Amino acid sequence: MGVLNEFFVLPFLDIAEAPLFFIEVIIGGLSAGVMYSLVALGFVLIFKASGVFNFAQGVLALFAALTLVGIMEWGVPAPVALLLTAAVMVGLAFAVERLVLRPLVNQEHIILFMSTIGLAYFLEGLGDTLWGSNVKKLDIGIPEQSFEIGGVLLNQFELVAAATAGTLVAVLAVFFHYTRVGRALRAVADDHQAALSVGIPLKTIWVIVWSVAGIVALVAGIMWGSKSGVQFSLSLIALKALPVLILGGFTSVPGAIVGGLIIGVGEKIGEVYWGPALGGAIENWFAYVLALMFLVFRPQGLFGEKIIERV
Amino acid sequence: MLYREAGQFKSSYGADQAVFPIAQDRWFIAAAAVFAFVVVPLIADDYWLQAILIPLLVYALAALGLNVLTGYAGQLSLGTGGFMAVGAYMSYKITTAFPELNIIVVFLFSGLFSAAVGIVFGLPSLRIKGFYLAVATLAAQFFLIWLFNKVGWFYNYNPSGTIDAPPRAMLGVLITGAEAQPEVKYLTALSLLSVFALLTKNLVRSSVGRAWMAIRDMDIAAEIIGIRPLRTKLLAFAISSFICGVAGAELFALHFGSVETLAFDINLSFLILFMVIIGGLGSILGSILGAAFMVLMPIALTNLFVGGLGMQAVTAKHTEFMVFGGLIIFFLIVEPHGLARLWQIAKEKLRLWPFPY
Amino acid sequence: MSQPQKKIGDTLLKVEDISLSFGGVKAISGVSFEIKEQEILAIIGPNGAGKSSMLNVINGFYHPQEGTITYKGEARHQMRPHNAAKQGIARTFQNIALFKGMSTLDNIMTGRLLKMRRNFLWQALYWGPALKEELAHRERVEQIIDFLEIQAIRKTQVGRLPYGLQKRVELGRALAAEPDLLLLDEPMAGMNVEEKEDMCRFVLDVNDEFGTTIALIEHDMGVVMDISDRVVVLDYGRKIADGSPDEVRGNKNVIDAYLGVSHD
Repeated sequence: MGVLNEFFVLPFLDIAEAPLFFIEVIIGGLSAGVMYSLVALGFVLIFKASGVFNFAQGVLALFAALTLVGIMEWGVPAPVALLLTAAVMVGLAFAVERLVLRPLVNQEHIILFMSTIGLAYFLEGLGDTLWGSNVKKLDIGIPEQSFEIGGVLLNQFELVAAATAGTLVAVLAVFFHYTRVGRALRAVADDHQAALSVGIPLKTIWVIVWSVAGIVALVAGIMWGSKSGVQFSLSLIALKALPVLILGGFTSVPGAIVGGLIIGVGEKIGEVYWGPALGGAIENWFAYVLALMFLVFRPQGLFGEKIIERV
Repeated sequence: MLYREAGQFKSSYGADQAVFPIAQDRWFIAAAAVFAFVVVPLIADDYWLQAILIPLLVYALAALGLNVLTGYAGQLSLGTGGFMAVGAYMSYKITTAFPELNIIVVFLFSGLFSAAVGIVFGLPSLRIKGFYLAVATLAAQFFLIWLFNKVGWFYNYNPSGTIDAPPRAMLGVLITGAEAQPEVKYLTALSLLSVFALLTKNLVRSSVGRAWMAIRDMDIAAEIIGIRPLRTKLLAFAISSFICGVAGAELFALHFGSVETLAFDINLSFLILFMVIIGGLGSILGSILGAAFMVLMPIALTNLFVGGLGMQAVTAKHTEFMVFGGLIIFFLIVEPHGLARLWQIAKEKLRLWPFPY
Repeated sequence: MSQPQKKIGDTLLKVEDISLSFGGVKAISGVSFEIKEQEILAIIGPNGAGKSSMLNVINGFYHPQEGTITYKGEARHQMRPHNAAKQGIARTFQNIALFKGMSTLDNIMTGRLLKMRRNFLWQALYWGPALKEELAHRERVEQIIDFLEIQAIRKTQVGRLPYGLQKRVELGRALAAEPDLLLLDEPMAGMNVEEKEDMCRFVLDVNDEFGTTIALIEHDMGVVMDISDRVVVLDYGRKIADGSPDEVRGNKNVIDAYLGVSHD
C-alpha cells in the first residue's frame, strides 16, 4: 500500500497543493526541452538528408562551444567570434563530407553510424587538444534576470533560449519548404538514387546539411554552455536527445521540436514528483522509458504516418 | 599450393557440413589451440596475461554475444554494457549467497539472469526496428546501471559501492580472487570462450541461425515463410544476453576483481559494438579478431605516444582519443566488412598461391 | 498445347467478396474466385489491377476489410502469414525477397524451417537428433537443388547471383516447404526467352510431379495461355473475367481492359 501511495497518490496531491510550483516545474521542463529539441533537430536534419544516424551531434555541440570560448579568449568580440565559429563548423562539414561520408557512400547504415562514433571520439580529442579540457565559462551577454508573472518565477535567459530556438525552427522550416536547396534536400531524403538521377548534387547537399547541423549544434552549445559551463558533459545532452528521436521520429522536424518539449516536461515532472519515490537520479533513463511507453501505443511516433509495407 | 581443397571430396552431407571442411583449416585450428592452451601460459608474463590476454578473451566473448544479436539476427543493440552488468552483479550475489557453488556454474546462472533481462528489453523489437530499437536498448543500458547503483542489495550494501570477487576454487585451484594465478584465469576465460564459440557456431549453422539471418536479411519474407518474428528475435536477445552476461561475470571476477557500475557504462557498449563491426558482422572469428584489435590498439597508441614520442600523459590521452577515432573511421573506409573478411580474402589468395589465377 | 490429362479436384481455396483498401484507396473490391486442387490458375490484369494485393490477402500479409477466405474447407476473415505458411501456402515475390546474405543452400533450407522440430539446445550441440534432422532436411533440399538444376551455385551467396537464378532459388525456397498451394508473383518477369522456358518447365513439372496447386501472376500472355488451366482477369480491383484461357481470350471486357477503353 505504501508503495502504491507513493506512486499513485502522493505526487498528484503535491501537484494539487501547489499549482504555481507545478507551472514552474513545467516551465523548467520546457526550457530543458528546448535544448533537447535543438540537439534532436541536428540529428533529424542529417538523418533526413543522408540516412546517417549522427552520434557525434552532441560532441558537435561541445566542439562548437569550445571553439567559441577559445576564440573569445583571444579577445575577439562575441559577434565576430560567433561568425568565426560558424565558419569553423562549415569547414568541419566540408571535411566530414570529404573524409568520412564520401568514402563510405553506399555502405550500410550501421557502418555510417559507427563512423560517426569514431568522429565523436576524434572531435572530443581534437577539442580537448586545441582548447584544453577544463570547465570554461561562456558568456556572450544573454541577460539572466529573473522576474515574476502572476506568481510564477521566470528567467529571461530561458525566454531568450526559447525565442532563439523558435526562430531557428521557423527559419529552417522556410528554408526547407521555399528554397531550391530545401526542395533538393527533401528529394534526397526521399530517395538518394532518384535524387541523383535527376541531377541533384548529393555531395553539396551533404555539406549543406552538415553545416546547418553544425550551426544548430553551435546554438545548442551556446545555450547549454552559458547555463552550466562548457565541459565534456555537454556532449552528453546527445544521449538526452535520443528518446526525443524515438518519440518524434528520426525524420520529422516538428517531431523533434514537440518531442523535445514533451520529453523535457515529462522528465522534469517525473524527477520532481516521482524521483524521490524511486530513489532519485532517474534523469538518465526516465526519458527513455517515457518514449518507450509512448511507442507501445503509437509505434509510428508522433508525426509519422502509418507505413504500408509492401512485398 | 599448400592450401587448397582440390582432391578433398566429401561423400556425405555430414562431412560437407563440418565446421572446417578443409583439412588444412583443421590442422591450423589444432595448432592454434595447442598454442593458446599450452604455449601461451608457459611463455606469457603476468603483464601480458592480465593487461592484454585476459581482457581480450573476455571482450571476445562479449563481442560473440553481441554478434549473435546484431550480426546474425540483425538487431542493433547499444545495451551490451547493461547486460554484462547483470551478469557481473548476479554472479556476485550468487557466489556470496552460495559460496560452495562451483564458480563456473555461478557464471552460467548469472548468464541466465542476463538472458531473462535481455528478453524483457527485447520485447520492443517486435514493434520497432533499426536505430529506433538501438535507442530503445539504451533504455536498458541506463536503467540497469542506475538500478545497480541505487539498490544496495546488489552490492551487499558495501560502503564503497563496489563488488569484489571472493576467492573461489575449482578442483583445489583458485580461479577468482586476488590470490588466483593469472595463468588459471587466462585458461578459464579461454576455455569458456572456446566452448561458447563452438556452441554459437553450431547454432548459426542450424535452423535457429537461419531463422535469425532470414529476419536480418528480410523480415517480411521471413514471416511469410513461417518464421515467427517475435519468438526468433527474443531467442536472439536471450542467447546474446546470456553470453554477454557470462562475459560480464568474467570481466568482474577474472579481469577486474573489483568493479563498480562505471565499468559497465555506455562506453563499454560502444567498445563491444566496435569489436563486432571491426571484426566482422556475422562472423565468429571476427568477434575474436575485433576484440584483439580493440584491446591492442589503445595499448599500442599509449606506448607510442608516451614511450615513443615522450608526450605528457594528459596530452597523450587527448591525442590518443583523436587517433583512435580517426583510425576507426579509416578502418571502416578501408574494410567495412571487417577483419574476418580480410582473413577470408587472404585464404582465397592462398588457395591459388603461388599462381596469380 | 496438349497437356496430359490432369485430375483437377475440389475447391482448395475460395475467396468471397474480398475488399481491400489502403486509407481510402481501393485496391480490391468485391472479388470472388476459387482455386481448385491441382490446377494452375493464372491471375492477369493490367498494372495496378490488384493482382499482387490479392496474393498478399491469400497468404495473410494484407488483411481485407470485407470478405472471407475458405482454405481447405475452413472459412476465415483473415490469416496470419505464419499460419498460412503452416497450413501449406508458400509463395514467391515480384521483387525477389531472398535472404541476400545467405547461401543458396541456406536460403532453401529456410523453406524447411517449419518442419524442423529440434530446439536450440540440441542445435547448439549439433549432435544426435539435431544433426540427424539437419542431414535429413539437407537431403530433401539437395533433391530440390537437383530438380531446379542449381547444383553449381549451392554455396554462393544469393545476393551475388544473376536475376534469373535468384528467381529460381526463390522458387526452390517455396518448394522446400512442400506446399499444397504455391503462389507465384510474376515468376518470369524480366527473363529472356530461354529462362522463361526453363521456368515454365519447372512450374509444369512441380504441378505434375508433386500435384501442387499453383496460382500465378504473369504478364506474358503467351506463357499464361500455354501453361494455365484457368485464368482470372482483374482490372481496377474488380474481377472482369474467369474461365479457360480460350474463353478469356475472346472476352470483350478483357480486350477492353487491355486496349484501354475508358472507365466511367
